[in-house]
Amino acid sequence: MKMREITVQRLLDQGADSLKLKVLAGEDYLSRKVQETAMNRPGLALTGFFTYFAHQRLQIFGLAELTYLKNLEPAERRSRLEAVFKQQIPGVVLTRKRRAIPEILELAAAYQVPVLCTSMVTMDFVNACTVMLDELTAPTKRVQGTTLELMGIGVLLRGDPGIGKSETALALIERGYSLVSDDVTEMRRTSQGRLFCWANDMTRYHMEIRGLGIIHVPSLFGVSAIRRQTELDLVIDLTMPTGEEDRTGVLQETVDILGVSVPLIMLPVRSGRDMANIVEVAALNQKLKELGHDAAKELDDKIISRLNGVGRGQ
Amino acid sequence: MELDVGNKSISRKLKVENEYGIHARPAALIVKEAARYTADIYLEKDGNRVSCKSIMGLMTIEGFPGSWVTLIATGSDAADALDSLEALFVAKFHEA
Repeated sequence: MKMREITVQRLLDQGADSLKLKVLAGEDYLSRKVQETAMNRPGLALTGFFTYFAHQRLQIFGLAELTYLKNLEPAERRSRLEAVFKQQIPGVVLTRKRRAIPEILELAAAYQVPVLCTSMVTMDFVNACTVMLDELTAPTKRVQGTTLELMGIGVLLRGDPGIGKSETALALIERGYSLVSDDVTEMRRTSQGRLFCWANDMTRYHMEIRGLGIIHVPSLFGVSAIRRQTELDLVIDLTMPTGEEDRTGVLQETVDILGVSVPLIMLPVRSGRDMANIVEVAALNQKLKELGHDAAKELDDKIISRLNGVGRGQ
Repeated sequence: MELDVGNKSISRKLKVENEYGIHARPAALIVKEAARYTADIYLEKDGNRVSCKSIMGLMTIEGFPGSWVTLIATGSDAADALDSLEALFVAKFHEA
């Protein structure tokens, strides 16, 4: 799965508070793209060694780099820095609130590279920035479906319009479970292959219920009825009954979302069937499976071993 | 929806011309109109695709005044659906 490119501007917007980022120079070049979530400390490059230089990464100048530069003769300092700036780097970050060396500011303009600074200590910055870059560059997708969290299990309800996704969700909220998003769910795949769901900013925590219109869930049910984000564990498709449904649950179907395979259950909807109750049990059953206890498979194994035992006259 | 005879998907680009864009009321009108057809109808903008039968979906696409959206329909009555939805856009959702 290819990661999304992000601009230095985007990182700056997101990280102004949490990463304490500010622009020192090269404001006009914030559209440069960061193509890797890792960062590079250009210590070796500053000594003139460029083999395997990670030029596509953000370059972090910490205490060590800046102290090293300060101890060089001005002409030497400029030429060493210029060699790094020449490499088409996406941006430079100075940590620990160090004052920028004038050469860095000049070269930023000359080579059109944005230079940022942060008051954070290098190690803390690199850790926090890696997590943020990972989030910002993760592949995302908007899917049609309502997402809930039931006892720590993230469930995405899908189905044709009008089949009763929101009504089922509402019944589950009344039972004390939490709404993540109604009808439109944003998803992100992390580099570890986990899927996270949240709501679109515009409609977050609102639901549309046929006949009622739009409701605001936390106002009606309290803050415990909502959750900002959940990890996806299970997809449930509400379908019209076809008679082809799996009756044993031995065959676990899956659906591919952003390259991640997620367990899928098809639930036929019939009038008078308590869908909320069934979704609740499906989530519990999924939790049990994640704990290594698969009821359908265990029963099947028991039957198979009995049948084979009997067949052999034992 | 595999039963539909005409499974070709057709699309049309439309401009949002009413004063306030696709807010709750126009979204509701679109959903109401789309629900009259069996075709699968989607609205696409900036790479995001939402069902025209979902109010919440339509309110997330940020159909601001003057923006362009693409309607995509698949199914036997797709052409009729697009015609009637286009009429809604042209009529500025019966708003000023």
